[in-house]
Amino acid sequence: MTTLVPVTYKGGVYRHDEIMDLIDDLGGYIVQKHVMAQDVVLQSFVPRDDIDLIREVAKPLAGEVTEAPLVGTEIAVVSPSLEIHHLPHTACDIAEYLRCAGAKTNMVGLARGFGKRIANLNDEERDVINEHDLAVYALGNFEECIRQKFPVLRRGIHVPIVVTGAPDRETLLRIIDPPVEGYVGGVGRIMHRFKRPEELAKLDELVDEVSRTLDARRDDLAKDPLSVFPPRLMAIIEERIHEVSMLTHPTPVTAQMEGLRVKLPYDLYADAVRSLEVADGVTVGDIADVTPSRMRNYILIRIKPFSETRTLV
Amino acid sequence: MPPLNYFVVESPDEVGREAYERIAADVLQDLDLIKVIDRLHIYVDPKVPIFVAAGQLRHMPRAIRISDFANVNSGDAKIVLDIGDETYLAPLLEKLWARYGKENVDQPDRFTVVLPAGVAAEEDLEHMVVADPSETLYKDVIYALQYIAPEGFKVRRQYIRDEKFYYVASEDTLPGDIVETMVAPIFEKMGVTL
Repeated sequence: MTTLVPVTYKGGVYRHDEIMDLIDDLGGYIVQKHVMAQDVVLQSFVPRDDIDLIREVAKPLAGEVTEAPLVGTEIAVVSPSLEIHHLPHTACDIAEYLRCAGAKTNMVGLARGFGKRIANLNDEERDVINEHDLAVYALGNFEECIRQKFPVLRRGIHVPIVVTGAPDRETLLRIIDPPVEGYVGGVGRIMHRFKRPEELAKLDELVDEVSRTLDARRDDLAKDPLSVFPPRLMAIIEERIHEVSMLTHPTPVTAQMEGLRVKLPYDLYADAVRSLEVADGVTVGDIADVTPSRMRNYILIRIKPFSETRTLV
Repeated sequence: MPPLNYFVVESPDEVGREAYERIAADVLQDLDLIKVIDRLHIYVDPKVPIFVAAGQLRHMPRAIRISDFANVNSGDAKIVLDIGDETYLAPLLEKLWARYGKENVDQPDRFTVVLPAGVAAEEDLEHMVVADPSETLYKDVIYALQYIAPEGFKVRRQYIRDEKFYYVASEDTLPGDIVETMVAPIFEKMGVTL
């Protein structure tokens, strides 16, 4: 069986369709395509053995293929509020850096995430965060505040969490109980753009921490694989439900590690998605839960594992 | 950042202290207040919780009059204002419209404003106050401190008068004697009496 690895292709618009066709022909999937003026960025999964071939084809087009550990994941960047105190720098810089590594990031600005005594998390915020593969909490400068408010901000969250804050990693490890999946110290409330080498190094550390956490989850998934690989289901939905192509969202269908978010209204399209045939006689409804998302009126698809469905598409 | 004459951040939490030093420097730089503030002392303790910022401003900018940015030439039939710097043109027009009526204020091009002769004496016009930057400066300083302070500290007391200012904020109710117990000692440390 070929292993698909997440990669980013960066190149010009000129003849980029050849690369897209090549990835398709090799049995890979493109989960996100960005066209920015003259440049194209493709976040994709390609067979490990064929990366060199893509590099070779891309050479005359001055395209480059780099490994992007976070392709196919949707990450929530949780900021205590959307006030000027926390935005734009810390939260946006983190989100942007994770995006460079291939992730689809969503910013979750809490309504009342500030203040150590008054901080709280409402049910909508909790459910929205839980719809992601991982949550990065961008916390502040004081050890005391993180210790007091973090238990409240994580209440009910069952996705892996990576915490950033100004105290060093060891302090974060000590004050957060029960432990979370990742810690990055030395990144607190910062009022300027991350541009110094040590600040960028912190962001690299964050990407490592996030990919390490997600890799652990991937290993778990490998033991009981999903009934269908999410990018594959994504390709099927994009091909068969033509309304998807009319959406103006940057990612009309967002790939997650264990499912998809389809940005069509649930009431109108849920049945169409459920009855969509994935393979002979197997419909989406058979191998996945199609549920309403707490994010606007979108559809959230959670793919069931093989052990539950006894089907592998 | 060119140094203020006095800039100290105090906190029992060393990591937080360093972070707030950087935050304060960034905010003052972003809002272009470094030249305005002469002394600044910040004390922040998340355990209490309390945030105190106290300081002194350099000289306050004076009021802007028409003669600062325009020439007033009165002729037989009309008075021509020759604008040198457009920064205060909008408040100038507002003032002229309010005082002489829109029908009497003509602006043939960007740098010229014409009034009919006799509506005002040349000297009156030259001394007319158009804007007072110190008004917005006060707001800017308070805004900067609000921006520096931790966001959860919503209960606050602020003061700015005679080039001295303080800003006290907390998550909980502030005690009535907070100025005497917390702010005055900080002014003392700076060598300034409130």
